[in-house]
Amino acid sequence: MAQASSTLARPGASGPGSDQPAVAAKSGAAMRKVSLRNLAAHKVRLALTVLSVVLGTAFVAGSFVFTDTLQRTFDGIFDDTAVGVDVRVSAKEEESSGVPLADLDRLRAVPGVSKVEPGITGQIVLLGSNGKAVKGGGAPSLGLSYLPKEQQIGDQFTFTAGAAPARAGEIALNAGAARLGKLSVGSHTKVLVPSQGILDVTLTGIYATETETGGYIGALFTQPQALQLFTDGKHVGYVDIAGNAGDGVSENELRDRVAQALPELKAKTGDQVRHDIKQDINNALKFINYFLLAFGAIALLVGTFIIYNTFSMLVAQRLRELALLRAIGASRRQVSRSVLLEAGLVGLVGSAIGIAGGVGLAYGLRALLNSFNVGLPSGALQLRPRTVLIALAIGIGVTMFSAYSPARRAAKIAPVAAMREEFASTGTSLRLRTALAAVAGLLGVLGLVAGGTAKAGGGAAGLVGLGALGLIIGVLLGAPALSRPIIAVLGAGLGPVFGPVGRLARTNAVRNPRRTAATAFALTLGLMLVTTIAVFGASAKKSINGLVDNGVTADYILTGPDAIGVPVAAAPAAAKVSGVAATVALHPVQVKINNRSEFGTGVDGPLAQVLRYRILQGSADLSGRNLLVSRKWAEDNHWSVGSTVSMLTPDQNTVNTTVGGIYDDSQLLGNWLTSGSLYRELTPSRTLSDEVVLIKAAPGTDLAALRTDLERATDPLVVVQVQDREEFKGEGASRINALLAVLYGLLALAIVIAVLGIINTLALSVVERRREIGMLRAVGMVRPQVRRAIYLESMLIAVFGAIVGVALGLTFGSLFVRTLREQGLDQVSVPIGQAVLMLVLAAVVGVLAALWPAARAARTPPLAAIADL
Amino acid sequence: MNSPVTTPSGNSPTGNSPTGSSPNGSTAAGAAPAATASAPLSTPAVPGGQRGIAAQAIGLSKVYGSGDTQVRALNSVSVDFARGEFTAIMGPSGSGKSTLMHCLAGLDTASSGSVRIGDTELTSLSDKKMTQLRRDRIGFVFQAFNLVPTLTALENITLPMDIAGTRRSAEDQAWLTSVIDTLGLGDRLGHRPSELSGGQQQRVACARALAGRPEIIFGDEPTGNLDSRSSGEVMGILRSSVSQLGQTVVIVTHDPRAASYADRVVFLADGQIVDEMRAPTAESVLDRMKNLEQV
Repeated sequence: MAQASSTLARPGASGPGSDQPAVAAKSGAAMRKVSLRNLAAHKVRLALTVLSVVLGTAFVAGSFVFTDTLQRTFDGIFDDTAVGVDVRVSAKEEESSGVPLADLDRLRAVPGVSKVEPGITGQIVLLGSNGKAVKGGGAPSLGLSYLPKEQQIGDQFTFTAGAAPARAGEIALNAGAARLGKLSVGSHTKVLVPSQGILDVTLTGIYATETETGGYIGALFTQPQALQLFTDGKHVGYVDIAGNAGDGVSENELRDRVAQALPELKAKTGDQVRHDIKQDINNALKFINYFLLAFGAIALLVGTFIIYNTFSMLVAQRLRELALLRAIGASRRQVSRSVLLEAGLVGLVGSAIGIAGGVGLAYGLRALLNSFNVGLPSGALQLRPRTVLIALAIGIGVTMFSAYSPARRAAKIAPVAAMREEFASTGTSLRLRTALAAVAGLLGVLGLVAGGTAKAGGGAAGLVGLGALGLIIGVLLGAPALSRPIIAVLGAGLGPVFGPVGRLARTNAVRNPRRTAATAFALTLGLMLVTTIAVFGASAKKSINGLVDNGVTADYILTGPDAIGVPVAAAPAAAKVSGVAATVALHPVQVKINNRSEFGTGVDGPLAQVLRYRILQGSADLSGRNLLVSRKWAEDNHWSVGSTVSMLTPDQNTVNTTVGGIYDDSQLLGNWLTSGSLYRELTPSRTLSDEVVLIKAAPGTDLAALRTDLERATDPLVVVQVQDREEFKGEGASRINALLAVLYGLLALAIVIAVLGIINTLALSVVERRREIGMLRAVGMVRPQVRRAIYLESMLIAVFGAIVGVALGLTFGSLFVRTLREQGLDQVSVPIGQAVLMLVLAAVVGVLAALWPAARAARTPPLAAIADL
Repeated sequence: MNSPVTTPSGNSPTGNSPTGSSPNGSTAAGAAPAATASAPLSTPAVPGGQRGIAAQAIGLSKVYGSGDTQVRALNSVSVDFARGEFTAIMGPSGSGKSTLMHCLAGLDTASSGSVRIGDTELTSLSDKKMTQLRRDRIGFVFQAFNLVPTLTALENITLPMDIAGTRRSAEDQAWLTSVIDTLGLGDRLGHRPSELSGGQQQRVACARALAGRPEIIFGDEPTGNLDSRSSGEVMGILRSSVSQLGQTVVIVTHDPRAASYADRVVFLADGQIVDEMRAPTAESVLDRMKNLEQV
């Protein structure tokens, strides 16, 4: 310090308003030196601050690197798809049956067309050598058609073992699929085609493909068999066309000719196809990127409080030093700039490390997902300049923003403060801040009340959102004022148990309410989000349970994987089991009504036996072209019993149906129901599927035996699961839990940063209170008591933050769920157990955060009370 | 015993032989019959007149650093502090007076030699035992007051007792009340340190030291941060605790006026005891100090 001050004395002597550039430059250098020396002196203190910047920026950089890498590798893969394809023809309506096979000859007749290859694909389930379904994670599992090389467009498959399928019952697999299924050339296995059933196949060849990603399954069938398995025999999904090489006809020209010849179809050039596929992938990746960035933003927001707190404390500890700088002539701007410069350096170092960490994070995330065979391609990690710039800008920006107000406060220090022995850093009155808090909080509560009582829907959710924002701001501003009474109440419980140590902890916790509030608020934010999500999860589970308990009377429910549903052979197989009184298969229906896509349910079987519902008007008769509609939907469309509803099918046929009955709204039944036969009339056969099959046992049937029989009957269809109502509910709950786990995992980052903040605050507080702790040691406080006091203080701060966060989260969660009561979340469930658990965990986390600071405090020698040791 | 201030002189229960004070620390005094080590702990305070030795240093040395940078702050110092006596340690800056007090009070450890409080040898104590000894048998008054800013005056006064966690007897309570009354703090008990003047804060610190009825009170420049009026008050309190209650007090000071309140002044220079004086006056102390600084 002595060195810095001697250099500073000169510009100070010539006055702060010196207009000599040389002097100004020199003083700038001197202030920089002070900043740098300070950083060096407070390395340990700043390390945790840097760490919070690192965590936040690492997450941001990581999400960019992750999605950039995926995009780059997917781009690479799709550059190689549709190679040699000049034009791809498909139906104009995506959900339609596709391109009529009859059009193939017309396509071949278009001048300039040399090869025409129909694209035939369908969902399959491959059985491995162990007879179980090969689990491909999230990657596609497809059956494809194979054409002999001379008829193929391009050269799509390089066989590494064996040969292509030559007759029905033969397949070739991509190398990854063969490896996953432990199959080799000559293996006999089975393939499940959901719309057909189970199929015995022999593996004749293994091929390599550019689209090979972890978990991807591509089974090649001969074209005739593929046509039989995956099409209705009249249509194919799309048709690829190649022109004659070297005849000078461009892709665009060929496309125009095709479009002219078959105007009812959609024709795209090969380039357009590749571009569109990449576009789709990029849009999906963008969503993932935004999703991850949102959590990075939360982490950075939480980090803001930590950084703010650290700089506030560093400034407070350096009051005398800063005042000395002011006394010897440093201007306010110089002082505040030196603090900001420190912040900038912390931000720079933090975000630089954060970028490196982000690359590691992206690598780890990909490895983690690939270990589940999600189907991510591997490729070099992409660190783009954009990623680096954004991470640096955010890291430095957030740090300097957070340090701005401490820097200003530092500049306001009166020079005389240096002369005072003890400088009271009590800060300004909280009155204005608390008054603003009250206003914001009140507006917030008004918004919440308005949103909570409003009619369900987007408007109400918006009101609740605004109200929540208001209340959060109110709590943020009011937290220092709130901390005193809440911690007083919490701390009162400590007195009887911990005596004077508890009292010290309590008074220390509210010693600097602003600091306590900022420290606790980081945890408040994190736990608020966790609790809000927990309320959603609990409410969703309760709603599902309520739905199943009140609405489902079926004894068993057959389900299948999401991608394929229940194989259609399952329902007939189950129906044959003795003791089954009724099987009801439900199918998804999609049509257009008044030019809007509408989703309904097709029903095969006696619905009333498996689901409970109430007909309000008309009858439950679903025969013919009768339609059953929900009350709300009928009201929205002004329909009554007897109304005619005109439906446009994906194949562009118009089907007129009649409202035969109106039922009371039910989440299970949705908006409208058709008979199974009407469903098949409305739906292109390639998209026919069973969503779920409900089974009612005959009276007096032994349910356990029935279950065994059902399992045996559906066993050949490997993917079918037989569940009773409780298991069905449990599956719903476990899906919600899986989603919650992902969200909790991402929010854990914010909690970790909040904990770092507590460590930081305590560590700096311990440094500040060194003399006091020394005195306590001198007058007889043993080390465990010193440690305990810090543990308890930390626990109080953490629990204070947690209580506020949990209370806010419960409020917001309940109100948001309320606004969604018409979207199926009709039950609000407050997870009290979880809330209590969070408070307990907060207390534990508080103690853990205090371990290091407390150990430091306990090492304070008693002589520290007397001398600056 | 209900009114300790007015009935100060109970008999010492410690049973030490009345050797009296021996200047320049006769080692014979250290051979006081060792009662069971726990006896002084369980029956502290209420010292009875000038009998026995409250604290003792024998051949005490304190060395900082090593090699060329080695500094010998204390050089084989031997000194006794008699019970019920008020001693001031003086000396120029760097004479080792503060180090001597820190070692005597168990705040610092000696490089060699031995320190005793009553019959307890400090050099062999663990940190925990040492802390308990400070808590139960020693009182402190610091230069910078060193009160806990978040606690009230009363809470600060009872802090060492509260830390010990022992239930306060009616006798303790009566003693506490009389200390508070004597020091004139009755109307300040609910105030926090920041609401008190320097003199008031140091009176609270004195009350904290006296409240535990320690065997010995150490003061480290107790008047260093006070104006002359407040200094007089604080020294008066310490003086009367010795005169009326038989308390043992040892302070380090550089203020001859403060030293004049003591029964005995010990002079240190260059880590050694160079002189001592009985019944000092401010003038005689000042003269002696001038001589010391010229040496």
